[in-house]
Amino acid sequence: MAKKQVILGAQFPGVNNFTVWSDPAAGSQIEFSSFRHFAETVERGKFDFIFLAEGLRIREQKGRFHELDVAGRPNTLAILTALASITEHVGLIGTLTTTFNEPYPLARQLATLDLLSGGRAGWNVVTSPGAFTGANFRRGDHLPHGERYERAREFIEAARAIWRGGAFSVHSKHFDIAGRSQLAPLPQGTPVIAQAGDSDEGRELAASHADLIYSRHGSIEAGQAFYADVKKRLAKYGRSPDALKILPGAHFVIGDTKNDAEEKLHAIRLQQVSPKNAIAFLEQVWNRDLSNYDPDGPLPEIEPDVSGSRLAQGRANNQDIKSRLETARHWREIAARDRLSIRQLAIRVTARQHFVGTPESIADEIDRHVQADAADGFVFAPHLTPGGFDEFAEKVVPLLQERGVYRTEYQGETLRSNLGLAGPSSEAVPTGLAAVG
Amino acid sequence: MTTNANGLTVGIGFDVATRSASNRELQRDHWQALIARIDNVVDYVTLEDGFARAEGDGFDAVLLANWLAPRSRNIGIIAGAPVSFLEPFHVSTAIATLDFVSEGRAGLLVQRYAEVQAAQARRTLGELDGFPPAQVTALERDSLDTIEAIQRLWDSWEDGAIIRDRESQRFLDGSKLHYVNFEGAEFNILGPSITPRPPQGQPVTAVTYRKDEDPLIAAAADVVFLHLEAASIGDAVEKIRSSAASKAVVFVADITLEAGRQSTADLAAQIAGLARSGVSGIRLLLSDPTQQVAYLSNELLPVLRAALLLRSPANGSLRDRFALPAATNRFTAAA
Repeated sequence: MAKKQVILGAQFPGVNNFTVWSDPAAGSQIEFSSFRHFAETVERGKFDFIFLAEGLRIREQKGRFHELDVAGRPNTLAILTALASITEHVGLIGTLTTTFNEPYPLARQLATLDLLSGGRAGWNVVTSPGAFTGANFRRGDHLPHGERYERAREFIEAARAIWRGGAFSVHSKHFDIAGRSQLAPLPQGTPVIAQAGDSDEGRELAASHADLIYSRHGSIEAGQAFYADVKKRLAKYGRSPDALKILPGAHFVIGDTKNDAEEKLHAIRLQQVSPKNAIAFLEQVWNRDLSNYDPDGPLPEIEPDVSGSRLAQGRANNQDIKSRLETARHWREIAARDRLSIRQLAIRVTARQHFVGTPESIADEIDRHVQADAADGFVFAPHLTPGGFDEFAEKVVPLLQERGVYRTEYQGETLRSNLGLAGPSSEAVPTGLAAVG
Repeated sequence: MTTNANGLTVGIGFDVATRSASNRELQRDHWQALIARIDNVVDYVTLEDGFARAEGDGFDAVLLANWLAPRSRNIGIIAGAPVSFLEPFHVSTAIATLDFVSEGRAGLLVQRYAEVQAAQARRTLGELDGFPPAQVTALERDSLDTIEAIQRLWDSWEDGAIIRDRESQRFLDGSKLHYVNFEGAEFNILGPSITPRPPQGQPVTAVTYRKDEDPLIAAAADVVFLHLEAASIGDAVEKIRSSAASKAVVFVADITLEAGRQSTADLAAQIAGLARSGVSGIRLLLSDPTQQVAYLSNELLPVLRAALLLRSPANGSLRDRFALPAATNRFTAAA
């Protein structure tokens, strides 16, 4: 039997401390030349798609703009359309919120990207925090928190109605719109839909409406459990297990030997978690100013501030009050047990799943996860802009190709066909879904 | 070629939606061929957006502009957006991105919708707070608000905000980022932008001014396209210049090319007349781009150049081409 093929996505390094800016090899995060370099490398490596995250407000901490991490990015759709112009095959997936967009303008823009790229557009559907991000948009904080996913689901259905072309008319709880779209048929029927939520609601939305799920990557066993859970949900929407691809986010460090790679990872982690970054990280949980603490000293003995207001704004992983106390207790235990300083603790607990080793061992591990149904592939995020994939494309990709689990040439015309997705997802999903979740 | 530093600038105006109905492969080829032909021939192109147009909406013009930018080297690209039906924040970052992609050749054509067109655009959005009602005064006010909000967002990162200072472990100098604190009739925007200050600082803001319109919106733009009879151009320029807080400094006369209707000699005479009326350039609006671009580059423009009516296309930023001063940053100036 033919082996399962590996899907690879390439995330442009984002706006957080994971992206290293202090390295001499770190280039601009905003000049087009960086995007060009990145896209050309990824296409040479025959990646399925480029993936861009989204942030619609500059992060703040202690009432000030957060200065320690990379910030400043282009408009997602604009840069993807520019990249469509200089590439021929690679898919272009943008993270775009359903909270601060409306269906007609966004669907029309995605249709434009799909047409100008010849069928390579993808949309990672997300929802945004209301008041903080809403301060930059006409409608402000317009959406009750509990209705975010409901609006997202209705939004996708409205977008599909628009992509069918001709007159459209949508009357649902969140939308009451009508008009006419001329941009049909689209090369992909509908752009590829991705979903990133890990909650039960997020999984259900992925099962009913998405082509890809961008998940968290853990152990092979955790991956298999997630994979089985999500794929099992597809049947009730009349979809086959192949109709939804599961792609955990992951990272890699390539070395000449296992030891060499481990040493490189350690050096990268020190760059990612600078002394000030370690303090800033702890402050997010303690919800207090900890700038007087020594990053190379022990954890604070003072308890987290559990009053309402949040010190850090604009982060996806802000914790609620209860978990702040629990997290602080848990971290103190780890730090005491292993004698870790604040910075060492921050490095430990912010560790992300990495494939660390020689090109051979990394190719092995990727293949093993995919063949074992822990994933259908990965969305890798490198730690450097713009050259973060240079070595991967040169050394790891050929090994995957030798194993027969990765394309040597692009086969399909569209992102949808390169991903092995049958047809436009609108055909696979019954319309008018009412009872979900 | 005769060089001439004092003649008129010349641009081309395309209506994006009129081309979008054809076969999709042909559409890409069409735009690719068109931009290649005009890149070194004229100073800029404007792309009129067909948002919510009942007879066909076509490509989003701002995205098309971003697709054309890497395929061209010299031409200015002014992308149209009916801003009262869009999020100013998204428009601002998309035009800033166009300025990065084109390395300083970006502009925004602020499109105004009225009456039936405005009502149709509103129907595609529904009745939402934060957007103006489809009524003329509210729309005009919102256009002014949107221009102000977008321009403030472009200034919200000072040059040099990105410091990459290993000593202090800071990527950003937060004191060089600014809330824009825009408060308008329909909406507020806090800022700052997520996109750093674009290469031009302020990409060029342009509007089209038509007969009997309120001059306030034209007065808020850098470049005004005068869509008028030649005889009323002088009065219109005077009216716009004299309106309160007018920023408009560049006036361009629109000429609609109608295939086969005008002789080259007539057009040359018309343009020579315009050169004496106080405008610094002409924009040629094309109804049949493929045919007319060939005519322009092979016939009309050589004749106009031989008559020393046109300035030679310059290099550099779009602001430079319009002889606009280097943009200052309102937040730096305030500091």
